[in-house]
Amino acid sequence: MSLLRDEDRRQIRKEFESLTEPVKLIVFTQEHECQYCAETRQIAEEVATLSDRIELEVYDLLADEEKAAAYGIDKLPALIVMRGGDEPKDYGIRFFGIPSGYEFGTLIEDIRMVSSGDSGLSEATRRQVAELQTPVHFQVFVTPTCPYCPRAVLLAHQLAMESELIRGDMVEAIEFPHLSMKYQVQGVPRTVINETVHLEGAMPEAMVMARLQEAVQAAA
Amino acid sequence: MEGLVSGFGYAGSQSDNNYDVIIIGGGPAGASAAIYTARADLRTLVIDKGLTAGALGLTAKISNYPGVPGPINGAELIETMRAQAESFGATFITDKVVGVDLTSEPKMVMAGTNSYTAQAVILATGSMGRTGAIPGEVEFLGRGVSYCATCDGFFFRGKKVVVVGGGDSALEEGIFLTRFADSVTIIHRRDELRAGATLQKRAFANEKINFIWDTIVTEIHGNGTVNAVTTMHVHSGQQNRIETDGVFIYIGHYPNSKFLEGQIAMDEHGYIITDEYMRTSVPGVFAAGEIQDPIYRQIATSVGQGCAAAIQLERWLSEREDVRTAAPEKAG
Repeated sequence: MSLLRDEDRRQIRKEFESLTEPVKLIVFTQEHECQYCAETRQIAEEVATLSDRIELEVYDLLADEEKAAAYGIDKLPALIVMRGGDEPKDYGIRFFGIPSGYEFGTLIEDIRMVSSGDSGLSEATRRQVAELQTPVHFQVFVTPTCPYCPRAVLLAHQLAMESELIRGDMVEAIEFPHLSMKYQVQGVPRTVINETVHLEGAMPEAMVMARLQEAVQAAA
Repeated sequence: MEGLVSGFGYAGSQSDNNYDVIIIGGGPAGASAAIYTARADLRTLVIDKGLTAGALGLTAKISNYPGVPGPINGAELIETMRAQAESFGATFITDKVVGVDLTSEPKMVMAGTNSYTAQAVILATGSMGRTGAIPGEVEFLGRGVSYCATCDGFFFRGKKVVVVGGGDSALEEGIFLTRFADSVTIIHRRDELRAGATLQKRAFANEKINFIWDTIVTEIHGNGTVNAVTTMHVHSGQQNRIETDGVFIYIGHYPNSKFLEGQIAMDEHGYIITDEYMRTSVPGVFAAGEIQDPIYRQIATSVGQGCAAAIQLERWLSEREDVRTAAPEKAG
């Protein structure tokens, strides 16, 4: 049973014709697949068939412990979108939980962005990001039925792509109730920056950057 | 001798603040009307609160305006329309209209810094999501306050929520919330719903949903997260406290017509009543766009209505001049 509809498959295949550089998807799952592990793997597999520019690797959290540690994977399912080919590069783009519903669109956008090699951020944001000295961790909590969430996730992923110091995680709130509880998620999108700063809703780039500065200063 | 002005584009003894047409609101309806009146050689003044004042300035990207494939920024699109109107001679000023006298001769428009007069007026101030939040709304956003049941419904599994509003969105989302919440209380400021009949039927049949009528929410309370709302009955003023875990707010658009109250016919929601010629209840006053259109609320329809209002206004002015110039002959 395919998860993608024929119609979507055709549409995405067409969009992927414009992919220039190779993209690698890495899925982490486990032998007894977690809730949505199988579906996440299947989504990645199906998407990978839609362009010869997309490579796919699948790892097991336990059997491939070293890989998991290297990529900073601590929960399942996890999906990484990174540069593939001869010079692979992990930008810090992560999906924890199934990239379905509205977040499927984010996955497709990520693939296009990574392939283009351009985060698409404004000049002002790029300048600000270039000055970062310390690591920044974005955790964007979402539900698959939230139309406002992809904007927040995509921005975190764009920032991750722009800076080696930034990691951008999508976290599907329903699949990780302990994290939703820990970060008091009662509405999505909710972005947590470095554990200290919380943002409600999909905010414009400039506003997110102001909050990012806050988080960095709080840590300093 | 104002009344004897004949012909359009007349500038003779007029002071700088006297125009043939004043258009209040410079969104799609107002700017389109200005393009038409200015091209018809009518001295046209457009008074607008500011470029991003309207609903359009807040709408992120537009891709459904015919002829402009987009996605285009709302502010960019409206800037183009204004430039077009200005190229035909329309004057745009940024000011807030605080009062009008639509029955005087000429008609008076009082703005924050100046007063203006004109033979005819087009009302095009559009509509806005309500202004001003309920006390506690901003504080508890994402802590129990939500605008999106499909996004956040899951977090209210087994809990009690209230929904504020009585339109389609309030009912649709309220019904959706019953999948998760134990009880959904819909609080509506009137005694009947604005929502469509089918939705009403489904909501009334749903045993998890109950209604509180003629009531508004005046404050949202909580301790970290929402735990109650204060309500007020709109007729008796009676206040009540309702325990709840979540507040979903769906108070829709309101026409920006408050400054016209008592001057012109409007419906119970504040929409200006117009006929098919975009005429209002006051001769020489036309309305276009979302201030008179609760149904379509599209840029394309507002543009069309603005254009129609301008054409009708021009006809009205020229017919009036015909009568005026004919009258003295009769008398003589």
